[in-house]
Amino acid sequence: MGSYLLRRILVAIPTLLLISVLVFAIIQLQPGGFLENLLEDPRVSRETIENIRRQYLLDQPVWVQYLHWLGGIVRGDFGYSFLNSRPVSELIWERMGWTVFLAALTILATWVIAIPLGIYTALNRYGPSSTALNFVGYFGLATPDFLVALLLIFLVLQSGGTAVGGLFSPQYIDAPWSWARFQDMLAHLWIPLIVIGLDGTATIMRQMRANLLDVLSQDYIRTARAKGLAERVVLWKHAVRNAINPLISLAGLQLPTLISSTIIASIVLSLPTIGPFLYDSLLNKDQYVVMALLMLSAVLLMVGNLLADVLLAWVDPRIRYE
Amino acid sequence: MNRRGFLQQAALGLGAGILAPGLWARGLAQGGAANVPANLFQEIGRRGGTLTLPLGSTPQSWNYFAVIDNFAYTVLNNVFDRLMQLDQISFELVGVLAESWSISKDARTTTVKLRSGIKWSDGTPFTADDVLFTFTEVASNTNLRANQAATLTVAGVPLRFEKVDDLTFRVISSKPYGAVLQALTFSPILPRHKLAQFKPKEDPGGFSRVWATNTDPKEIVGTGPFILQSYVPDQKVTLVRNPNSWRRDPQGNQLPYFDRLEYLIIRDPNVQIAQFRAGNLDQVPITGAQFPELKRLEVGGAKIRVLSGSTIYTSPPHWGFNFDVPNPELRELFRNLTFRKAMQFAVNRKRIIEDVYNGLAVLPGHGVAPGTFWYYDTRSYLGEFSLERAAGLLDSLGLRRGSDGQRRLPSGRVLEFAFTYASDSAPFAAIAAILQNDLRQIGVKLNLQGIQQGTLLATATGGNFESILMAYGDQPDPQLRKDIWQPGGQLNYWHRSVWPDRGSTEPKFDQMFPWEKNIWEIFRQAEQLGDQNERKRLYDRWQLLSAQNLPVIMIAKPTAVAAGHARLGNFFARDNRIIFTNFSMFEKA
Amino acid sequence: MDKRNNPLYLAWRRFLRSKPGIISGIVLLVLYLVAFLAGFLAPNNLTVQHPDAIYQPPQRVYFFRDGRPVRPYVYQLKRERDPVTFISTYREERSQPTPIRFFIAQGEPYRFLGFKTNWHLFGVAEREGYFFPLGTDQFGRCLFSRILVGSQVSLTVGVIGVLISFLIGILLGGISGYFGGWVDTLIQRITEVLLSIPRLPILMALSTVIPASWPSTYVYLGIIAVLSFIGWAGLARVVRGQVLALREVDYVTAAVAQGASNLRIILRHIVPNLSSYLIVTATLALPGYIIGESALSFLGLGIKEPMASWGLLLKDAQNFQSLSLYPWLLTPGILIFISVLAYNFFGDALRDAADVRSRD
Repeated sequence: MGSYLLRRILVAIPTLLLISVLVFAIIQLQPGGFLENLLEDPRVSRETIENIRRQYLLDQPVWVQYLHWLGGIVRGDFGYSFLNSRPVSELIWERMGWTVFLAALTILATWVIAIPLGIYTALNRYGPSSTALNFVGYFGLATPDFLVALLLIFLVLQSGGTAVGGLFSPQYIDAPWSWARFQDMLAHLWIPLIVIGLDGTATIMRQMRANLLDVLSQDYIRTARAKGLAERVVLWKHAVRNAINPLISLAGLQLPTLISSTIIASIVLSLPTIGPFLYDSLLNKDQYVVMALLMLSAVLLMVGNLLADVLLAWVDPRIRYE
Repeated sequence: MNRRGFLQQAALGLGAGILAPGLWARGLAQGGAANVPANLFQEIGRRGGTLTLPLGSTPQSWNYFAVIDNFAYTVLNNVFDRLMQLDQISFELVGVLAESWSISKDARTTTVKLRSGIKWSDGTPFTADDVLFTFTEVASNTNLRANQAATLTVAGVPLRFEKVDDLTFRVISSKPYGAVLQALTFSPILPRHKLAQFKPKEDPGGFSRVWATNTDPKEIVGTGPFILQSYVPDQKVTLVRNPNSWRRDPQGNQLPYFDRLEYLIIRDPNVQIAQFRAGNLDQVPITGAQFPELKRLEVGGAKIRVLSGSTIYTSPPHWGFNFDVPNPELRELFRNLTFRKAMQFAVNRKRIIEDVYNGLAVLPGHGVAPGTFWYYDTRSYLGEFSLERAAGLLDSLGLRRGSDGQRRLPSGRVLEFAFTYASDSAPFAAIAAILQNDLRQIGVKLNLQGIQQGTLLATATGGNFESILMAYGDQPDPQLRKDIWQPGGQLNYWHRSVWPDRGSTEPKFDQMFPWEKNIWEIFRQAEQLGDQNERKRLYDRWQLLSAQNLPVIMIAKPTAVAAGHARLGNFFARDNRIIFTNFSMFEKA
Repeated sequence: MDKRNNPLYLAWRRFLRSKPGIISGIVLLVLYLVAFLAGFLAPNNLTVQHPDAIYQPPQRVYFFRDGRPVRPYVYQLKRERDPVTFISTYREERSQPTPIRFFIAQGEPYRFLGFKTNWHLFGVAEREGYFFPLGTDQFGRCLFSRILVGSQVSLTVGVIGVLISFLIGILLGGISGYFGGWVDTLIQRITEVLLSIPRLPILMALSTVIPASWPSTYVYLGIIAVLSFIGWAGLARVVRGQVLALREVDYVTAAVAQGASNLRIILRHIVPNLSSYLIVTATLALPGYIIGESALSFLGLGIKEPMASWGLLLKDAQNFQSLSLYPWLLTPGILIFISVLAYNFFGDALRDAADVRSRD
């Protein structure tokens, strides 16, 4: 296992390099740029643009810019945001707290809700309550997340509520933590949780149901039952454990959603997370911010994949990595 | 200006200064103790409370000249003052930090006297040294991103600033400069005692990094009504009353009335409205499209007020044709005035104003906002919507309809061209659909090409389009928009082949149409004239030439719309203007 | 062979046990039939604008007059504009009923199976007035007709997209998991690279590359290609994980020992074991494609005005103004919901039916 991990990490380096080259190239392909945006202002002259271009090395060929960026990374410098005139790392750090908090909470809620529901709907597959649960799940699948956000806000508004977006009421945003602030957060938090989590919950629930049904009809389960094992033991110790396996690969893919998923929903919900920041940077071609965020996302993806593979081998003794 | 912000406002039909908490203070009001315009007050306000406003995105920096970002400016306009600004009703210049000014006979020297007794929020007195520092070291420093050297230059020579005494300075230009006062309105005055140490001239890169958004707010001292207190990234900016605020209401009470001013960062315009309706925001910028719904609530008894009024700054959309499109047949067509006239006949302005803007727009000017000093009435040249006349003109060009109803180019190819527009802007998308539908009826095929608002300007100035729906905001003085309307200017995107070569400043006159040469000359002359009436005569001719020759087809000029909570005092409409400032509004008991 | 031992027959029997499955099957059948006959069933042309009928609410159909059943008819709606709020309101003009005619030939011809025709199942005569069963949009275009024609795009984009991405995903995922070693490493790195590439800038770059003069059909095929090209990588990972596990299962090792070819093992022994998972994933992926198409339209990449798709139509409803004043604009959303629901319940039933070992 140790050599396997080492090999994976060694392979990851050239992959990351390849990704960074590709991503850099794609950013360059995108039309426009933050400099062109400046021209609209009546005060900005062509001369100013040329000066800034020189300041930020944007007058250099693309590969020089890339190597410059790479050199910075090696030194631990993630570059500089054109838009904000500040180091990229600072800007990301400012938003990391809420991003991780929300993502972790959503992923947790998704799994905690979806797995039991998946098991329930598998065991009672023709029951009306299962059909009803599926129905709710599909609603989340079938509606774009930002439309769900808009609908929920609309409903809150129509019913006279005031918690329409954001994580806090205005007066609690910069208040120190208190019981009242916590309650206020809870009153706001449910909308983002539903909007961001609904889609994932439905997906995992449906897959859990299918997997469990598959496993339940396998020979070894019948053998286990025939041996007279208690139904609870059969279900939890054998069936469920095996049914979760395929979902582990899926979980590995969830880590990078920390950064890039639900951008539009986050904008609609005014969440102080990295998504909208990435969106702004993309639109304005703030290239070092975009590079930093996308590379972070790529690293998370690889870490997620690696963790999933290791976990898969750990829970499923049939899998061996040689 | 942040391009996205600009285009959003363009699309929303909002001007830069209208719902941004513009501090459109005026000079001395008549009588009383007030040192701000008396017409801002419906009644004397009550001190206290918090004013909560929306902010469309996260501010990029607190350093005004280091970023071009409307959201940062929105906040900073409460902290810093200008020398003078436009009056909200008359659209004329009135003093803010400047008490009075005079222009010499030869129109080359402008002497400005500053208001006395003003202190920075940390107690340091405000003097002409601050003004000189701001203009000479920062605003005209071409190594700073948001420098204003372009407007502080006439005929290629920079303006010179001289201190006369602590409260007086002179601006000297080599040639007469008619827009000199307008140029002075652009810069907020920064504190020399705080910023000179960072040496903007010698180290522009280092200067750009100071006053980033994570700076201690106490460092950012201003003369404005509010000062920064705290900033929570992506959530909220909090300002409090400047203890040294110099503004007084007509009874001599210190302004602002509000103790605190908070900006909630909310990106989605829909959610801004939701927050406003939920009572979390006191004001919200809205568009003509959202007017009916909110007005209905107001009429239905909700505690809100929805106002509309005319303004300079909204961005009138226009339809531009690429005179340098690669396809030679289209190129010839787009350069043909008869064709552009035919297209103008096919623009149903009445329907666009009625249906797209809900009546909250007026017929456009040609580069100047209707109803303002520089405006020349070109409405008779806009023509009535008439598909028959459009079809007649196309017939006269020999573009006959084939058996399938489509018109043919001389080569026999179908007459079709792309129409690039911002698909994420509701009014732009609606205008595109209406044009496409009307043109289809006269056998012209418009291929809609939707792109993101954020890339619209770059697409236009990159020449990467056949025809395009664009919008530029109007400004109080045509000189400030010469980059758009003077052929060869960097924003004169429809005729890029006349742009100067790299390294040259001279446009290619041999490529220009005669009327383009005329317009170029008008802008050159008007820039170097001191006599405003003479300048107006020149600019009148420019507007007439534009209306006759249609460099672009103007569509409509959106009206400003605003919604505010009923508890806001001194938020009102008068003489078809929306009037409010953050320092004159107050919370009604 | 006895009918009762025929696996297809048994699967069919199991399918029939699921009521939601049957209903969903019928719903899907109807939806596709409607999409096929869209031009005929739509009373109006989908691109014609009616400036005098913008945001007109759905017209009510009457079957009785003075208590007696008569040929169905509607009343024309007269638009009035509130001078203060600018809201358009509509009032039924009771004086003149407009009869609904069946099998009526009028309007611009549409193509059906290669023929040009202008027959419509129902509608009102053009000179007598309008009939908008689901109201109109911002330009006074018939929403009902637009939904019908839009279903042609929305109901096919998902199926074709899922097929393409599944083909690539299963193949590469299967190969990766089955062979392992450097093949596995290579394919896994490729999927990682693909999954790491940002969607938004790619699409924005694409939107300026695709010529505006391209007909909607080309753009439509382009979208499917783009969506499925991006979509397969996640699936390949999961398939690989499954195959990794199945490779060590007894009957596979036995097959290997017997010298069965690799392809045969993958197709005969591994893919059937994945079918349950694949059916569910496929039905889960469908709404993504239907909705994803609308996101592309936003970037100027999808179906372009004046053509329609459900996603594009739903875009009009995504603001408070529409939600409160013109709620009928949400109908495309309801249809997306119904079709996704049908696909998923159908998928569940199919999964259960395909489950050969199921004994209960």
